[in-house]
Amino acid sequence: MSETGCRHYQSYVKEHSYDTFRVIDAYFAACVNRDARERKAIHCNCFECGSYGIQLYACLHCIYFGCRGAHITSHLRSKKHNVALELSHGTLYCYACRDFIYDARSREYALINRKLEAKDLQKSIGWVPWVPTTKETNLLLANARRRLVRPNQTIGLRGLLNLGATCFMNCIVQALVHTPLLSDYFMSDRHDCGSKSSHKCLVCEVSRLFQEFYSGSRSPLSLHRLLHLIWNHAKHLAGYEQQDAHEFFIATLDVLHRHCVKAKAEHESKSNSSGSGSGTNSSNSSSSHCYGQCNCIIDQIFTGMLQSDVVCQACNGVSTTYDPFWDISLDLGETTTHGGVTPKTLIDCLERYTRAEHLGSAAKIKCSTCKSYQESTKQFSLRTLPSVVSFHLKRFEHSALIDRKISSFIQFPVEFDMTPFMSEKKNAYGDFRFSLYAVVNHVGTIDTGHYTAYVRHQKDTWVKCDDHVITMASLKQVLDSEGYLLFYHKNVLEYE
Amino acid sequence: MSTSGAVDQYTVLTGDRSKIKDLLCSRLTECGWRDEVRLMCRNILMEKGTNNSFTVEQLIAEVTPKARTLVPDAVKKELLMKIRTILTEIEEEPDEPEDES
Repeated sequence: MSETGCRHYQSYVKEHSYDTFRVIDAYFAACVNRDARERKAIHCNCFECGSYGIQLYACLHCIYFGCRGAHITSHLRSKKHNVALELSHGTLYCYACRDFIYDARSREYALINRKLEAKDLQKSIGWVPWVPTTKETNLLLANARRRLVRPNQTIGLRGLLNLGATCFMNCIVQALVHTPLLSDYFMSDRHDCGSKSSHKCLVCEVSRLFQEFYSGSRSPLSLHRLLHLIWNHAKHLAGYEQQDAHEFFIATLDVLHRHCVKAKAEHESKSNSSGSGSGTNSSNSSSSHCYGQCNCIIDQIFTGMLQSDVVCQACNGVSTTYDPFWDISLDLGETTTHGGVTPKTLIDCLERYTRAEHLGSAAKIKCSTCKSYQESTKQFSLRTLPSVVSFHLKRFEHSALIDRKISSFIQFPVEFDMTPFMSEKKNAYGDFRFSLYAVVNHVGTIDTGHYTAYVRHQKDTWVKCDDHVITMASLKQVLDSEGYLLFYHKNVLEYE
Repeated sequence: MSTSGAVDQYTVLTGDRSKIKDLLCSRLTECGWRDEVRLMCRNILMEKGTNNSFTVEQLIAEVTPKARTLVPDAVKKELLMKIRTILTEIEEEPDEPEDES
């Protein structure tokens, strides 16, 4: 069903075209640029009472603004005008129908204006409810069976067989499968594999895994295919030894990212091959190994930007560099300065991480401002945050003298506002609130041990994944656990 | 001009108005207010919408007072703080940046 407004609006459009609507919407509802905002600020007030009003309407037949209620309706009645535009949301109103009306083409124009506004103000476009397309409606009609997910249901939970010291993989897979954005991506079947040999594609394998997790079956899964693919693509993890879960996590992201880049490049070269110049793409894809450049799903979810400011102690000149990151590794040992304090909480660790660090007289850096080698301080801050922030608590300490595991308790919160660690704190509209959704734990010593994971199954429902055994867990258990990798998900997502 | 008029004009001009509105909309969606009000409208329509004379104005008149009381205090407080921050920033830098050509 397409929306065509009402017959009054149709006859209005026939007579006046869409032009008036487009201009009024662009200038007074969406305010697409500075000129529009200036005009709105100066001219857009009620012709009756002069108020800037909570809700103003603009007549689409003549030049008239009026407050909601008596002011606009008396104008429409006396002038026999029908159509007005409500300016705070940009909804059309028909006086003859006494109702708001919805017209598909007007909405398209309005959406263009909203995008222009968002671009001009460098903000994300406002939330709009999902409206299914005709194709989606037909799909829903053709597949009438629905599955209702209730709070106490186990769908989405599968145990994972241990294939011989593969708990490092199992716990990471559990954390990834329970990443809301990642499951949204794979459950909506968004991966379009360009490669002909999809059995070699890790992204296809992960896509298949999601189907397995949500198939409703309760028997444990075997991840031998995934393991084999990782062995092929990340040689340093091949073999039957115990591996580090953090290393596996980063390697998995890297392999997934590389597959996405490759699939995209193949896709493009396929569509370009009919035209001219298909050779340029392959050279691009091989050079884009460094992450943070492409727009694949892994980058969209996991890549953030770290800012590092080096301040010259002689001239106070600041040189700033940006580096992409997938996770934040935090030191747990005693600090060398400030009298050897050991961090007790995640916040402590982050404060330490983002503190200005004196680089010392042995490490003089050439200052780009005063062109001389000077002592300097270095400070990290977070330029942009990914939708999923993962923290790696460096519990395994490797030094020349001793290898040891630090088992000290580090308190971590469920809800976490990262604003204090951002580079730009004054950004009044940034929302950096995150929620914990997965915790990977290590029990044992540095040489031998076992990994388990706590994951948030549904809101306020936590489960413990210990290879093939899945048990219910309380939030307290999660928060009392030691914590090796902590996964936080952004609460409010911005749209582009 | 009245103070509120000047504030209105200034926030429209800087684009803060639109950003505050977005923030409010997303907070109201997050806290479930939107769904609650939606449900309230549906219930009223099921009850009274059977006769065709029930208009959107009547619906608005009936829902508005109830919907206002449902807005969580935390949301109001956050918005107030944000508006205050924006207005103090104006006080600190009264000169408009005019260097844009």
